[in-house]
Amino acid sequence: MNRHDVVVVGAGLAGQRAALAAIDAGRDVALVSKLHPLRSHSGAAQGGINAAVGAEDSVDTHIFDTVKGSDYLGDQDAIEFFCREAGPTVVEMEHFGTIFSRSEDGSLARRPFGGAHFPRTIYAADRTGLALLQALWERIESERFTLYDEWDMLRLVVRDRRVQGIVGLDRKSGEYAEIAAPAVVMATGPAGRVYARTTNAHSCTGDGIAAAYTAGASLKDMEFVQFHPTALLESSILITEGARGEGGLLKNKDGDRFMAKYAPHVLELASRDVVSRAIVTEVREGRGFTGEFGGYVHLELMHLGREKIESRLQEICDFARNFAGIDPVVEPIPVYPAQHYMMGGIGTNIRGETNVAGLFAAGEAACVSIHGANRLGGNSLLETLVFGKQAGAFAAAYAASAPRAELHDADLDATTAPLRAWSSRADGEDPSALRTEMQATMERYAGIYRNEADLMEGIRRIRALRQRFERVRVVDRSGHYNLNLLDAVETGHMLELAEAIVVGAYARTESRGAHFRTDFPKRDDAKWMKHTLAERTPDGPRLSYAPVAYTRWDPMERVY
Amino acid sequence: MKLAYYPGCVAQESGRELDLATRWVCRAVGIELVEFPTFSCCGSGFLDEANEVLNVAINARNLAIAEKAGLDLLTICSTCTGMLTLANHRLHDPAVKARVDGALRPLGIAYGGGVKVKHLLSVLTEEIGLDTLRAKVKRPLAGLPVGAFYGCHLLRPSDEMGQASGEEPHAFEDLLAALGATPVMYRGRVMCCGFPIQFVKPETASRIAGRQLLDAKEHGAHALATPCPLCHISLDAYQNHAEKAVGQPLQLPIFHLPQLVGLALGATPEELGLARHLVPVDPVLAEIPGPR
Amino acid sequence: MSEPTVSVPLEVYRFDPATDAKPCYQKYALDLAPHTPVLTALLRVRAEVDPTLSMRYSCRSAICGSCAMLINSKSRLACETPVGPELAAHGRIVVEPMRNQPVVRDLVVDQTPFWREYRRIEPHLKLDKDHPMPEGKPNPMSPAEVERFHETPRCIACAACYSACPAVEADPAFPGPMALAKLYRFVVDPRDQAHQDRLVRIQTEGLWLCLRCHLCTEACPKDVRPSERIRDLKELAIRAQGATERGSRHAVGFKENIRDRGTLNEMKLVRQTYGPVGMLGQLGQGVRIWRKKPEITKRPHPIQGADEVEKIYEALDDGSGSK
Repeated sequence: MNRHDVVVVGAGLAGQRAALAAIDAGRDVALVSKLHPLRSHSGAAQGGINAAVGAEDSVDTHIFDTVKGSDYLGDQDAIEFFCREAGPTVVEMEHFGTIFSRSEDGSLARRPFGGAHFPRTIYAADRTGLALLQALWERIESERFTLYDEWDMLRLVVRDRRVQGIVGLDRKSGEYAEIAAPAVVMATGPAGRVYARTTNAHSCTGDGIAAAYTAGASLKDMEFVQFHPTALLESSILITEGARGEGGLLKNKDGDRFMAKYAPHVLELASRDVVSRAIVTEVREGRGFTGEFGGYVHLELMHLGREKIESRLQEICDFARNFAGIDPVVEPIPVYPAQHYMMGGIGTNIRGETNVAGLFAAGEAACVSIHGANRLGGNSLLETLVFGKQAGAFAAAYAASAPRAELHDADLDATTAPLRAWSSRADGEDPSALRTEMQATMERYAGIYRNEADLMEGIRRIRALRQRFERVRVVDRSGHYNLNLLDAVETGHMLELAEAIVVGAYARTESRGAHFRTDFPKRDDAKWMKHTLAERTPDGPRLSYAPVAYTRWDPMERVY
Repeated sequence: MKLAYYPGCVAQESGRELDLATRWVCRAVGIELVEFPTFSCCGSGFLDEANEVLNVAINARNLAIAEKAGLDLLTICSTCTGMLTLANHRLHDPAVKARVDGALRPLGIAYGGGVKVKHLLSVLTEEIGLDTLRAKVKRPLAGLPVGAFYGCHLLRPSDEMGQASGEEPHAFEDLLAALGATPVMYRGRVMCCGFPIQFVKPETASRIAGRQLLDAKEHGAHALATPCPLCHISLDAYQNHAEKAVGQPLQLPIFHLPQLVGLALGATPEELGLARHLVPVDPVLAEIPGPR
Repeated sequence: MSEPTVSVPLEVYRFDPATDAKPCYQKYALDLAPHTPVLTALLRVRAEVDPTLSMRYSCRSAICGSCAMLINSKSRLACETPVGPELAAHGRIVVEPMRNQPVVRDLVVDQTPFWREYRRIEPHLKLDKDHPMPEGKPNPMSPAEVERFHETPRCIACAACYSACPAVEADPAFPGPMALAKLYRFVVDPRDQAHQDRLVRIQTEGLWLCLRCHLCTEACPKDVRPSERIRDLKELAIRAQGATERGSRHAVGFKENIRDRGTLNEMKLVRQTYGPVGMLGQLGQGVRIWRKKPEITKRPHPIQGADEVEKIYEALDDGSGSK
């Protein structure tokens, strides 16, 4: 039996920052990750990290932009804390060794981003996530802690509403093991893979969110799912908004610049949710292109000329060429919206605490809430570091005085028994097929445009899939690196979270931020300015509601 | 076709059989070699390790000599080809160019950047052409299984060396086939011969050379052919060390590229300096029937 | 967007050391559009044909570095290698685990040696108390200083370079291209206070085993060009410490050797590198070669214009390492 003070599950930016905070507090720390830390999805973030450091800018403006961007669902006290921490957080990462892009005068370069009054997105070329992830890993890898590399957490053990540790699987050896610890920080990132089209990595299956949910933690605001308008068709690899910022145009099959209908003043530069809905509408109404990967529209860069495309839009150019076989200098890029970010997650407060003693969460796996109903670009990287540090520090403090954690053989058996059952069936459901059906269901019934009938159908289908999952079958009998088994584990996790998303979306009869109901197209502050909480029961998620924290900013109509 | 002949240091010293064979082949296919006793060593990669800008300047001087005569450069060594081509590329960096021009100007030298560096292999395959060569073959190589060994600097970095692929070239195999040999494919054909670390850590260099030789042999090669005299040293002169490293006899004769071309075009072993090799080539010569 | 599909024959290395006596190649055939990445093909194999195939993958967009493997013998990221050109060149797609790392199962390799080399070069900023970080502010860094990193910040630690490297294959004392490129990144970082120590140390820890064969630069999916950064390290190391190791002595010796006459004096080079005593160890081999090539003992003629070479040296050779 392994034993530590603090176990951090997930080794992206949030997890690593949490681990560092706990190490700095003198605790015995374990960092658990199903991938090598440098492979974490944090590395895929391109745009940048926000901090109001410019002379013309202010923390208050950053706060206001974030509150408004959240469509007034973000907790204002948390947002105030978050924006105040931004400057010191970026400085800390620079001191850790991050190689940022610089202005001529040697200061950190900043670029403008959607929803921000001033350019405050600090960046490292087109790979800010990678730059931060490397620097943070290089800062901690020589510290004293235990890395459980390629180790899949299967279950969070909670007894008497107190964390006792986790049970998991070492991928390479195939051995099950327990880690006893009074404090666990979940920083496992998002569950974008519940959708058929997502910019997320394949690893983004929400394992920590599902484990917390199963162990009794409340999830918050799960229905708020952000879609990004321009993902490459077929692969859904993200084509960043920079393409539109530099003059890229969106066209339908008639060659029309259709954004003129939906956002006559700003056209392609309208906010992500507006552009996403526009593209979906165009395709639904028959004005999109069609093909074997579904309907789509064109993102045209050709008119910008080879020189501009290959210098200022190099990564987009590479993506189109390398992953779609398209040369944007001479032909349009086929794009369609894809799931991109989850505003919802494990409910926490500013300290990263959840409603389960000893359980903490941070990063995209958590919901504080900073982003409310819609996230601004550049705030996600910041969130991982600010709340990774919070969660790690408070987890360390908790562990210092918590009672000794106890895990029993029964905990191990309870975890492994179902997996053994899956592996000994003579016939049953293919986890890959269940996953594909789930993804198609979410795409069709809980996507960008939602309505009662669709959501009800979505709930019915997800529940049917959950039933079928009880008979999932694993055919790979190997003990080494058994991806078939892990596919099943992850599919089980995602089905839980898919249900929480559709149920929450069904209940929320308004439109706010990224959640758009065609049957309730307006924001309804009187009835719905509140967070959705979901608790797991054998019959599905039980919803309740919590107020939004208010400090200074009265809700206004959100127009740009 | 008239080219400035850049033989490189080794072809003028311990590898002079390469120079002999080159001259014979060029006469046979109509390449006029213009010689310049002013050419210096290319630095062989070692000078580049010690001082990059100095290396570029030394080679800019070599290139300027050819430019002044209005000629492109013919090389017969993969390493020389790499170093001279690299110099052309590095001169695109304004900071490097400024320093190099500053060193050459007092000598009355100004290199404009226009000289192409062509290894004999590409001149034969791309300019003379395989059809012309095939027509000149007097002693077809009788299906002799020969492994090409390119030499790293001819191929890579592929963007700078103008190669479609730095790992999967085929020009040399095409040439071998045109001469009537059977090209042998093996992984080591594009790998290193170990020469650059022969002086640093000989046992590792021998292990590397041994790996490539054994690989070729296991794929059926009766001989290797190389366009680089440094590779030739590693694979031929030091084959005895390579044998020790792999723990078995190899006995694989190593031809310089123009020696094999020369043989096929009717040259005698004496005209090609084949007796100078450390690993005897006679057993393989016996496999090729005499001239038509 | 609609390319016609073609039938693509895949041959995939399969091996589970726990159950298989030896590896085998499993054949699959899929209808795929030519731009389809090999990773997509393999994921379809897993989903539709054989869920027991084991491999690493995550981002599918060439940023996480998980999916490096051999594709038709070349070390590549599967997510960024389209099937079309490989099919055209080879008629099939052979997929194998990366080299130089022991196989765990199928396409999954044990990257312990790769990570160990990375950690060994101490990949973090080393500070000293005489040069503290500016309090509450970022360190200033000019765009020119950022340029000096070249493309080393793009490295995603995929290990394709490590897999492609013949020196790694031949000698465990060589750290591999990634670790060295990463060392370069710290040596040019103005915030790091240990440049000298790093350069001194790497001279005895394998720097000079690099063959400069550029196979790493060829394999790298992110244009890091590790072999070129390693070359930079060699020159920086000589400047930092002089010619103290065999490798640096040889490079500096060569530099001095051709200064004199503009052309190489082979015998003199041997003496410069091995020293007069070390040369004796080379005697046997030397005699063997001399028998076939007797002119090696003669001093070469100087080139015409050797004085020009001398003047270029005067202008550009700052004498680094010549002591």
